[in-house]
Amino acid sequence: MSNIDNFKQMKKGIDLAQAMAEADRCLLCHDAPCSQNCPADTEPGVFIRKLRFKNITGAIRTIKQNNILGGACGVLCPTARLCEKACSARFKSSARPEGADRPIQIGKIQRFLIEHSWERDFKVFEKAEPRSEKVAIVGSGPAGLSCAAELAKDGYQATIFEAHPEPGGVLRYGVVSFRFDLNFLEKELADVKALGVQFKCNTPINGPEGAEKLLEEGYNAVFLAPGLWDAFSLKSENKNIDGLFSSVEYLEALRNGRLLEMENKVCGKTVAVIGGGSVAMDCIESAAELGAQDVYLIYRRSYLQMPAETEELNSAMQAGVHFMLLNQPVDYITDDADRIKGLQIMRTRLGEADDSGRRKPEIIPDSQWTLDADVVIEAIGNKAPDDSTQWWPHVKVDAKKLIKADPLTGLTSVQGIFAGGDIIRGPALVVNAVQDGKIAAKAIKAYLGKQEE
Amino acid sequence: MSDKIDLSIDFCGKKFKNPFLLSSSPVSNSAEMVAQSFEAGWAGVVFKTLNSDRIPIIHPSPRMHCINYGNKREIAVQNVEMISDRPLKHNLMDFLYLKKKYPDNILIASIMGFSVEEWSYLAKAAEDNGADMLELNFSCPHISVEGAGYKVGQAFHLIEQFTAAVKKSVTIPVIAKMTPNITDMNEPALFAKNGGADAISAINTVRGISGVGLDDWVPKPNVFGKSAISGTSGPAVKPIGLNFIATMAQCQELGLPLSGIGGIETWIDALEFIVLGSSTIQVTTGIMHYGYGIVEDMIEGLSDCMAERGIKRVSDLVGKAVPNLYETNQFDFARQGITQYDTDLCIGCGQCYTVCNDAAGQALEWDSANRLPRLNEDKCLSCMLCQFICPVPGLITYKEMPAEWQRQETAVMDKNLEKDLNYQPFIMDAPAA
Ligand SMILES: Cc1cc2nc3c(=O)[nH]c(=O)nc-3n(C[C@H](O)[C@H](O)[C@H](O)COP(=O)(O)OP(=O)(O)OC[C@H]3O[C@@H](n4cnc5c(N)ncnc54)[C@H](O)[C@@H]3O)c2cc1C
Ligand SMILES: Cc1cc2nc3c(=O)[nH]c(=O)nc-3n(C[C@H](O)[C@H](O)[C@H](O)COP(=O)(O)O)c2cc1C
Ligand code: SF4
Ligand code: SF4
Ligand code: SF4
Repeated sequence: MSNIDNFKQMKKGIDLAQAMAEADRCLLCHDAPCSQNCPADTEPGVFIRKLRFKNITGAIRTIKQNNILGGACGVLCPTARLCEKACSARFKSSARPEGADRPIQIGKIQRFLIEHSWERDFKVFEKAEPRSEKVAIVGSGPAGLSCAAELAKDGYQATIFEAHPEPGGVLRYGVVSFRFDLNFLEKELADVKALGVQFKCNTPINGPEGAEKLLEEGYNAVFLAPGLWDAFSLKSENKNIDGLFSSVEYLEALRNGRLLEMENKVCGKTVAVIGGGSVAMDCIESAAELGAQDVYLIYRRSYLQMPAETEELNSAMQAGVHFMLLNQPVDYITDDADRIKGLQIMRTRLGEADDSGRRKPEIIPDSQWTLDADVVIEAIGNKAPDDSTQWWPHVKVDAKKLIKADPLTGLTSVQGIFAGGDIIRGPALVVNAVQDGKIAAKAIKAYLGKQEE
Repeated sequence: MSDKIDLSIDFCGKKFKNPFLLSSSPVSNSAEMVAQSFEAGWAGVVFKTLNSDRIPIIHPSPRMHCINYGNKREIAVQNVEMISDRPLKHNLMDFLYLKKKYPDNILIASIMGFSVEEWSYLAKAAEDNGADMLELNFSCPHISVEGAGYKVGQAFHLIEQFTAAVKKSVTIPVIAKMTPNITDMNEPALFAKNGGADAISAINTVRGISGVGLDDWVPKPNVFGKSAISGTSGPAVKPIGLNFIATMAQCQELGLPLSGIGGIETWIDALEFIVLGSSTIQVTTGIMHYGYGIVEDMIEGLSDCMAERGIKRVSDLVGKAVPNLYETNQFDFARQGITQYDTDLCIGCGQCYTVCNDAAGQALEWDSANRLPRLNEDKCLSCMLCQFICPVPGLITYKEMPAEWQRQETAVMDKNLEKDLNYQPFIMDAPAA
């Protein structure tokens, strides 16, 4: 049997009885701290309370009204540093600062409620009276979906332009399927589609001034949410090495019907993944799943500086990945046919803290060593494409080409053009993108209202 | 566990090795089951109520439903079960077996008849086959025939008449089991005493409805589209049981030993029944929920508690708390207190604030920056609602205030409305000259 047949499936969520049991543990806090700590104002304090009082439909309504991707967030939010971090059920007090108890499993309850709505076909939204105003949205990732849904709820005509063949952004072409599967995504997308949002896929907005021209083409406002789809590379001149992938290429291939092709490349081989974030974890765990003989994680700082979530790190350790901490790759080794053979690596040590507050790696002189590898995946961050500034030449961007937008409205330097998601924040979270979409939709409605006067 | 503690107690002249008995119900349905319970440590059994085979007994199906509360299952059980559906001969053969195999455990036969003759017949049959005592079931809450079940328990002269008939037929002690489906149990208990009862047991199940099916509007349990108001048992009925036991214990005219029943699961529940007047206690729902094994913890818990306090005999505990029960008008209203908060322990849930604001004295302010309640002592009503809800034990406690302390009066919203007031103070009419 191929490893593909065995490829890990997304874990099942909790059921009604378990969700009720969790809700029963909830202290029903006044001024609920979990709600205060949700970046998208999904209001867990409210929906858990509703569940507790057996108002299940009301609980579903609260989530969906506040967060159109409530299911995805329930699955993907790093809750340990968001809502659950603040949960009173951790029993932290000044007499016992470390706390003693488990937080309420908010993400799991949230996911359950959304899956339950699908199971019993409970629809939260009715189609709104159509309005005449048209809004163009660039990108169908979480930010674009959230903005479009928020507009469509009030009858605005929201059209999403998407470069990929299918909508979803990172949810479809990034996150590995065993963390978030297509079936789940399709159901959540169906809720957005039911609101009347239009999707134009295979339609990149990337010509000169392409995004700005949308305003001339009859759209009353534009929301830019293209995310970050260009990969950083250690040596960009090495682009054509066979066996060297960016995380974007590699993960996208896994989700794009090319699982078998990737399995052939990885199975029984030695795979080296460079990076220490969540994306690197998705790469190493999936490589292990595909049957790689050895998977190395090469990271230039140490364990505590890794940005990946603790849960992901534990999971990678369990998958048998070799963590090569305090190691900095400096060059690739290739054969005559430009196929990857391995990496040249220098050992590092931690120096003073850098801008990110983490201690900076310093290369140890003369510490060079080589690691043989058949596949190397660079997971060292994503960025906006170099030519993206030409798609919106009048929109102000920063040095990293991230769009400058007002955090309270999402408005860019151009009237009528708003932006949100990773393109304004740099790599962030689904729940942040959802919130950006909501904020911008509200501002767009206000802007369109003013225009009419 | 302290082995030195002797939990044995005398009840109606019989020696029980501890005060813990199975009450008459499914948990005492056959010798096979009762034998297991004796092995586990139960001192005695009130065997499932015998029937005389006059009419066949068929249990409805399903015959129970339960109430869950949050994560807690079975805080109450409702049943429409009948008395024993076994042939009388089989039950009596089981009596012989139990007495032979467990001579030191007490076998109490529960009986229920429909006429004087039937009561006497069953009483005699039980005595002749080894029963150490009888319990007269005047209290099944869902036997709907006039002159039987709880309807007897409500028709006091029948209690006396049936008890007297039984007493005439047998020499073994007789307990009358009372229904809680009345306001005052002392009155029927006195009728039982007049009939010659040696002890009273209470309570049987409380008439109730545990739920309603929302798809078909059939209350529970749903017996093929029909339901019946019927007997509720378990932890939820414990306060009702304690009330009747304590009230009978206070009644000097009654002066009979009591067997306490209703929602007992732990040694603390049992001890509460004992200190309010019971010499023995009986359990059904606790066993239906957790099995016979709970008696181990009842034995160990009660023994350790007695050892710690230097109490030698269970009988020294019987009724200990009864003298502390008064009518409310005898309280010392001059002494007042308030809550105090040890906020170092506070986890910031704010539930105290919610309940104080919505159901009490508005004595708390919420410090949202630090997520802490701040108490305005002068407004605290000492209702203790905040203590009940606070998830941290020991954080909120009660303290007495000095005699000169005065609670702030509840504010009137708008004092200006006094001029619009339509009001005369109430003055008791002087008796006509
Ligand atoms: C591998 C990986 C794993 C992650 N795991 C998690 C996680 O577990 N939890 C979590 O909260 N976050 C996670 N994230 C981060 C999260 O996915 C992103 O923060 C989020 O998707 C950002 O949403 P977005 O809408 O801004 O952009 P994206 O999701 O990137 O969507 C942008 C969309 O725009 C389209 N697009 C781009 N350019 C154009 C154009 N010119 N014209 C038209 N369409 C265009 C893209 O094809 C894409 O569909 C992960 C990210 C990655 C890469
Ligand atoms: C299913 C069921 C059947 C019962 N059958 C009888 C019975 O036949 N005779 C009787 O005297 N009491 C019967 N009872 C009442 C119990 O003996 C006991 O008085 C009552 O349940 C309260 O105690 P508990 O809360 O420990 O269950 C029955 C109770 C239950 C739950
Ligand atoms: S913080 Fe925790 S305990 Fe409080 S309401 Fe939220 S989930 Fe419940
Ligand atoms: S959206 Fe995410 S952060 Fe917000 S409550 Fe739900 S799981 Fe927590
Ligand atoms: S209920 Fe208890 S823990 Fe919660 S805020 Fe009040 S004092 Fe603190």
